[in-house]
Amino acid sequence: MSCQWREKVALYVDDELPPAEQQEFSAHLNACPECLAAVAAQTELKKAVRVAGARYSAPPELHAAVYASLHPQKNVSLWWKWALAPLCAVLLGVVGFLLFPRAQSDPMMAALVDQHVTTLASEHPVDVVSNNLHNVRPWYQGKLPFTFNMPEVKDSPFELIGGKVVYAGQNPGAELLYQMRQHKISIFVFQAKTTGSGRATSRDLSFNVSSWTQGGLRYYLVTDASKDEAGKLTAMFEDANRR
Amino acid sequence: VSLQSSPNSDFEKLALPLLDPLYNFARWLSGDADEARDLVQETFAKALKGFGGFQEGTNFRAWMFRILRNTFLTSKTSLEQRNTLQAEEEGGMEDAAVDHETPELKLLRCADTEMVQKAIAQLSPAFKEVLLLADIEEMKYQEVADALNIPMGTVMSRLARARKQVRDYILQTVGGKR
Repeated sequence: MSCQWREKVALYVDDELPPAEQQEFSAHLNACPECLAAVAAQTELKKAVRVAGARYSAPPELHAAVYASLHPQKNVSLWWKWALAPLCAVLLGVVGFLLFPRAQSDPMMAALVDQHVTTLASEHPVDVVSNNLHNVRPWYQGKLPFTFNMPEVKDSPFELIGGKVVYAGQNPGAELLYQMRQHKISIFVFQAKTTGSGRATSRDLSFNVSSWTQGGLRYYLVTDASKDEAGKLTAMFEDANRR
Repeated sequence: VSLQSSPNSDFEKLALPLLDPLYNFARWLSGDADEARDLVQETFAKALKGFGGFQEGTNFRAWMFRILRNTFLTSKTSLEQRNTLQAEEEGGMEDAAVDHETPELKLLRCADTEMVQKAIAQLSPAFKEVLLLADIEEMKYQEVADALNIPMGTVMSRLARARKQVRDYILQTVGGKR
């Protein structure tokens, strides 16, 4: 005879039962191998569909076309903002360049500090705007010749703002922008073969910069937050990419 | 430099993260890259135009998917698909419930991504769209119902039938290889 709960397997797996019934079903699974097997099969199928179904990413030209459609013609009265934005970027870049020690072992660091301040000066600092890593990470599919993991930052002091594709030395990489209180943090990810290697950190008057290599990828962190706070995000990334 | 809030920037913040999911949905529905691109662009254009009338508190994601789906329904591809597949979609509910036979969990685990993609591709549009929204976009039943403008009961029955067809396809394919 079939178990009375059996017809609710899909509702249970889809988390569509009322909370009390959901809990009751969970308890029931301990005593009913038949329902347990059905839940396991349904969960496996759902997972397989989720993985296989997330097949297509919008091509870069569609991103560009949609973005352009949202910014058709800027108001003339705003022209000075557009004039000032690159100027600010250049000035901040120069400040960053002057304050950043030149004697870095990894020449990428200086370039990425400049990229970080340019991002902060931009009206549109990121191309994919989301605080959900499950939106940001898939956005890079088809845009970069590699993939990487991102940590879940929900229960941490960090908030994900979004990301974009950047180039350094003609090589594409990811820039992920985070916020911690009033501080912005950029995490850059490149293929290690196109950059330096080893672990390096730097502290100067303006930015904390650190870099490390993991799984064939080179990570750089640039921020004006403290070294300890930056270290926490570094550890979270290292942990996420150890799995 | 802070962003000045405007209807466009509000829309952009909400809509841009949906670009890839909308494109994925459009590709599955239409089966064509160019048509999917056009569908997404048209969806964004329509949504931006109607954003002024969008009521706060309404599910924005479901609203965007609904616009895309309605746009697709008026497309040539959709009309052709409906002409050939309508009979299949109108099946009864007798086998809509979850299958009561013992699931072949090991066989399901043998399914590779390509096989599951083929299983999804062979679904009729009405089943495919429900499965995509529920299992890939992880929408709740009510959200799927809102996006597709169909009753929640229809969502549940179509989802059950879609999953059964995918499952049967996998089991037959894996079983046939053994």
